[in-house]
Amino acid sequence: MNRFTRREFLKSSGAGVGLGLLGAASVAGLGGCATSMKGDFMPKSARRVVVIGGGWGGATAAKYVRMEDPSIEVVLLEPNKEFISCPFSNLVLSGVRTMDSITFSYDGLRKHGVKIINEMAAAIESDRKRVRVGEGYLEYDRLVVSPGVEFQWEQVEGLAQNQDKVLHAWKAGPQTVELARQIQSMADGGVFVLTVPPVAYRCPPGPYERICQVAWYLKNNKPRSKVIVLDANQNIVSKTGLFREAWKAYPNIDYRASSKVVGVDPSTREVRTEFDKVKYDVINLIPPQRAGTIAVQADLVGADKRWCEVNHVTYESVKQKGIHVIGDSTIGLPVPKSGNVANAMGKISATAVVSLLNGKPAPALPPGNTCYSWVSDREAIAVVNSYKIENGKVVQIEQKLTPAQSVSVAQRALGWAESIWSDVLA
Amino acid sequence: MIALRRLIAVAVGLTLAVLAGAAGAGPLDSPGFAKSLTCAACHGAAGNSRSDSMPILAGMSPAYFQKQIEAYASAKRPSPEMEPYAKMVLQLGAADIARYFSEQKMLPTPVPASAAAVERGRAAAAECVICHGPDGKGDPAKLIPSLAGQPPGYLKDQMLLFKQDKRNPGDVPLKAMKTLMRSISDETYGDLAAYYSTLR
Repeated sequence: MNRFTRREFLKSSGAGVGLGLLGAASVAGLGGCATSMKGDFMPKSARRVVVIGGGWGGATAAKYVRMEDPSIEVVLLEPNKEFISCPFSNLVLSGVRTMDSITFSYDGLRKHGVKIINEMAAAIESDRKRVRVGEGYLEYDRLVVSPGVEFQWEQVEGLAQNQDKVLHAWKAGPQTVELARQIQSMADGGVFVLTVPPVAYRCPPGPYERICQVAWYLKNNKPRSKVIVLDANQNIVSKTGLFREAWKAYPNIDYRASSKVVGVDPSTREVRTEFDKVKYDVINLIPPQRAGTIAVQADLVGADKRWCEVNHVTYESVKQKGIHVIGDSTIGLPVPKSGNVANAMGKISATAVVSLLNGKPAPALPPGNTCYSWVSDREAIAVVNSYKIENGKVVQIEQKLTPAQSVSVAQRALGWAESIWSDVLA
Repeated sequence: MIALRRLIAVAVGLTLAVLAGAAGAGPLDSPGFAKSLTCAACHGAAGNSRSDSMPILAGMSPAYFQKQIEAYASAKRPSPEMEPYAKMVLQLGAADIARYFSEQKMLPTPVPASAAAVERGRAAAAECVICHGPDGKGDPAKLIPSLAGQPPGYLKDQMLLFKQDKRNPGDVPLKAMKTLMRSISDETYGDLAAYYSTLR
């Protein structure tokens, strides 16, 4: 089913550093002139916004700054050459969708005049308003940091040294392809174990949607197999009743609440909770999470050392002036860590940045959250949250769930995906 | 990738149109632009949804837009997705957002319709014309919406909701509409939707 094989993936991402250098040179207008990223390798030509991370939040922010004020230069730092959508990636595990169908080019952003450098930001020097890249640096007037999540490997014994064998597939990409392959290769009668990390983590309903997708696939292709879910939380974290209802169609699911994973051993194919040991044939261990590494290194995280607190109107860090943090890295707003919220934060932070750079106050705009989960190959459920700003803080107006799973919700899920992918990238 | 390329071309064109339309001023000068940012996630750039299931808001009559927002917010028009967002629109200022969308040029749906279905739909539309007009553009003064160029999937969904009395259940002015929908077969809904999606 997967048209985009793992080998192709490695090939397309393997060009890495060399192409990144070329990219930087050409976007800086230095094409043809041999250069490397040393010193101020891309001098500022106008007021400049640098965006770190081209996911749902960062790509949206980069596009909207350009849309709202084309006189502002925008440089996006993103190591990946293509955007791969986490939403809908669970459908790749069940073979319902292909990788190709959730993989998109960044060319739409380039058409908006966003200058993309396929490199990781190495460090933030907030006192000098610059971002270190390679051996050089980029100056900024305002910085938008959207680094997503990083895994806390050390929280699970045996995980750090076995990252290639114990997959998370929680950042859509090569691991999605590899996990799909492992599930497809598993013998009928094999045991698939999925572990859910303690909150807060990226995409609260994501693990439960994944359980539906794998259970659906196994029910139809390997009827003797089962799915064991080890959930660190006391109950299904999101859309609880709707998932419980959906799981009635999957007697192959063995759900175990309050089962926090503390260790894994690929040599014996065994995962350990605080009280139990469970044998697996295929493991999908979703590790505990924190803000992306650069946010931790730049001292944007709070006392918990995990997440970043921000102003609810501008998304400016409460710790560092001139730096806005958006997406899954943030905490303190009553919003889930979802792609839709990151997209909303991208637009709102872009509007704040443009307003502030033009000497105007940032308008008070609340985010919104629309979140669909596929419970089979054709039916979906949804939760929607709307918000308002009250006394400078984001406050929820209402949360609504679809009354039941249906094909019609799934059709709207498709419409949502098509629209929002375009809102982020086109 | 394929679908997105088409979307990119349209969205960039739309963006340029928005920027050019503002004649030097930025889009933020229109109060409705910033307030409608959330809507774009489902309804597309400038309200020009490109998907089959989400309606196009660009060019919509402001009075009709506001009436629907109020109906969603009060659950008269039940929708788990739109009820929370309608309440948010009311908080932000429905008039600004309604004006913003009404000022955007409507780009008809790119979702293709089969020529045969369109012809069958044209033949079946005699009674629809009475209210929605020969060009399907409705009558803003009477709060009758335009159907022209809306995505066929969305139009068909609405016809089903009318038939099942799930759209504005019990609403008296819509009674005739629902009676009409119950006299039409589900297959014909598809034909009518195809026909109206192609009207300009």
